[in-house]
Amino acid sequence: MTYLQELFASRELLSNLVMREVKGKYRRTFFGQVWSLINPLATMLIYTIVFSLIFKARIEVGHPSGLNIYPVWLMCGLLPWLFFTRVVNHGLSSITSNASLVKKVYFPRMNLPFAVTGSTGYTWLIEMGLLSFIILLCGGMVLPWLPLILVFMVLLALFATGIAMALAIFTVHFRDTSHFMSIALQMWMYLTPIVYPLSLVKDAAVTHGQWIYNLFRLNPMEHFVNVFRYLMYDNTWPDIYDVLWCIGWAVLSFVLGFIIFRRGEKRLVVLL
Amino acid sequence: MSNEPAVVVDDVALKFRLYSERNDSLKAAFMRRRKARYEDFWALNGISFEVPTGSTFGLVGRNGSGKSTLLKVLSRILYPDRGSITARGTVASLLEVGSGFHPELTGRENIYLNGSILGMSKKEVTRRFDEIVDFSGVRKFIDQPVKNYSSGMYVRLGFSVAINVDPDVLIVDEVLAVGDAAFKAKCANKFQELKNQGKTIVLVTHSMGTLEEMCDQAAWIDQGKLVTIGDAATVISDYEAAIASEA
Repeated sequence: MTYLQELFASRELLSNLVMREVKGKYRRTFFGQVWSLINPLATMLIYTIVFSLIFKARIEVGHPSGLNIYPVWLMCGLLPWLFFTRVVNHGLSSITSNASLVKKVYFPRMNLPFAVTGSTGYTWLIEMGLLSFIILLCGGMVLPWLPLILVFMVLLALFATGIAMALAIFTVHFRDTSHFMSIALQMWMYLTPIVYPLSLVKDAAVTHGQWIYNLFRLNPMEHFVNVFRYLMYDNTWPDIYDVLWCIGWAVLSFVLGFIIFRRGEKRLVVLL
Repeated sequence: MSNEPAVVVDDVALKFRLYSERNDSLKAAFMRRRKARYEDFWALNGISFEVPTGSTFGLVGRNGSGKSTLLKVLSRILYPDRGSITARGTVASLLEVGSGFHPELTGRENIYLNGSILGMSKKEVTRRFDEIVDFSGVRKFIDQPVKNYSSGMYVRLGFSVAINVDPDVLIVDEVLAVGDAAFKAKCANKFQELKNQGKTIVLVTHSMGTLEEMCDQAAWIDQGKLVTIGDAATVISDYEAAIASEA
């Protein structure tokens, strides 16, 4: 059996591992799965107060949707970002936190980071569904764009999983990785136009030099956030430039992550 | 019964690095700017043998002789640095029971979870569900979270899932010694049943009684090398003679 065949054959294991995460996470909590919604809502509230009410971040009016609501605009970028950080943060520790299992049973190891993506994706899907509903209530016509939104959700999942797979192997060698990444991800978030619009960076580039803007656009997450805003907030076709970058980054990240994981997994048990 | 061996172990060697100075943090790797210091320890060193299909094969040896490492290589948990292992059919290993259990999930949910970790499909688990539960003897508590189980119940449930995987080759570490006397007797019967079905079993044990009773063939391993291999009775007498002469 080839590696890929074996991986495919273990899809039932993957769905069971996803179930384990989803079901086990909120067991014995009063609100259960609702907690996964309270979390982004609270973040939305905080960022809206700080950046919209206090700092008065001005956003562009959605075209053609005509939406001009900061919290909705924010969430179109923040939900994909939160998904990305959760996958990377939990995915990189997926091997070390399941060490007892990895040391005692053989199964295709890639299912561990995949299961993190699956269970996080499940929550994200609910969040995005709720956001789409809110956008509809606010007058945005998001419905025809839903299939395309799903496609880009899959692309972002591939991108995040690739990074998580590579870091999962790295974490086994250097346990510092998780501490380092929590700081790096925080910095990364503020380097991505999530709480402020890209136009602010454009303005800064005019006075301080074009290189700032060019550098900014190298950030893969910037393109993903743009695409989700085009589709959900503006309700229009995304910029082809953004689309191509998203596809490119997703494929590159997943392929590299896959290769790194495959090369590293044989030595895992000796190091755990 | 086929003449082809179920498992072929060919010149398997595996080394561990014994670090005197190890770079396991970034600080160590970057600040010291030198390579980690280690010496190689060969836990397995050129082991070759064949396990005939349908036979029960025992591994004996002192603590730290490499038996469990060999089982892990057979189970594909560790990869050998040299040599190869070829197995015909599906391989399942019983190195630790209940290791995939999630404490907050119920016994029922954990049977499905653990079954799939061990390579069973959902259909197979459903088909064998009653058998598994009956064997474990925890039917009354099957819808309770397993964290409320006693340690005996926990291990029995884990063992019952594992023993019902129905592989062609079963690899067993000393886990035969779980549960009370009644459960042990049940396990012994189950192994006999598997044997009668023509399954190949590879097991590690320190109990010469178990070995004599269950195994057709055995191998004695010492310091990562094969000392004797042959029919169980011969290997046992060789091994016991060596132990006695040392004592």
